[in-house]
Amino acid sequence: MARDATRRRVLAIAAVTLPLAATGCQGLAALGTPPRAAPDVAVVGDAITVEARLIAHYDAVLAAVPALAGTLRPLLAQHHHHLARLRARLIIPPGSPASDPASPGAPPRGRAPVPGTPEAALGYLRDAEKAAAAAQLAHLTAAPPSLAQLLASISASEATHAMILGGHGRHR
Amino acid sequence: MTARAGGPAAVAALQAALAAENSAVYGYGVAGAHLAGARRAAAVRNWVAHQSARDALTAMLAARGAQPVAAAAAYELPFAVHGAAAAVALATVLEDRLSAAYLGLVGLNDPALRVFGARAVRAAALRAAAWRGGTLAFPGLDVPAPRQRGPATAGRGATAPASPPPGHPTASHPG
Repeated sequence: MARDATRRRVLAIAAVTLPLAATGCQGLAALGTPPRAAPDVAVVGDAITVEARLIAHYDAVLAAVPALAGTLRPLLAQHHHHLARLRARLIIPPGSPASDPASPGAPPRGRAPVPGTPEAALGYLRDAEKAAAAAQLAHLTAAPPSLAQLLASISASEATHAMILGGHGRHR
Repeated sequence: MTARAGGPAAVAALQAALAAENSAVYGYGVAGAHLAGARRAAAVRNWVAHQSARDALTAMLAARGAQPVAAAAAYELPFAVHGAAAAVALATVLEDRLSAAYLGLVGLNDPALRVFGARAVRAAALRAAAWRGGTLAFPGLDVPAPRQRGPATAGRGATAPASPPPGHPTASHPG
């Protein structure tokens, strides 16, 4: 655990300091443009956006169909864990535009309104989970190894969420 | 910075996945004997799936010029299995360990093995969730310690205390 956290920190520090080191020999003019984020920072940013949108979908459904709380809250809690684990891989300066790529409180955009019946709402979230599970694998081969493992694990978790939401629960 | 497809890291990760499949084939044989009806059918389906996966991994290792690890004649189980509840818990543990083993392939630099590993993590996580009747936040990454009665509610795994990954069932030493 501690070793992993250290590695994450080193990764994040490297992402910030390496571009600075690379531009260090160019004199003060190099300070005019902010350093570009390392590619894996962009991958984490995309993954954070996917999670934040999913959380917004859950919040919208919970507001529309409170009767589903018992089913949805445990799954939603796991998405908050996903988001926290992804955010822990970044050191984000406070107030920077990247600090909140998709506000969890924002209503979902680009999707149909939340259905009002429990059955339709579960289907809506099942589709959202499937889409998220696929999206988290989009950068699988480009990510550094430990990030690829985190993304594959989160994607697998979301696939199991879709299964539970589809009513295919426990072997009886 | 791409490791060769047949590099030692790839072989080691494939061997670990094969060892987990070998113990799963053995473990499902034990679990299935204590289950009936739909759960027995699921155990048999999974047993067959793990035999196929074992054969696929064996072929992948052979193609890399490596000697695939042999299955042991018997494995020490994480707990005694004398009934259906323990059989379900054993199947859950087997799948949790498989998801961890396949996540090792995702940590390689070979893109094809990463994709292969990610699919296998997903398949194991789905089977584990069906046995557990709930989901984990980080399948393969934060694996709950083996215990006879699995977590009863979805989401418990997400709050489970961090524990070292459970060891694979250890091969019993034949006499």
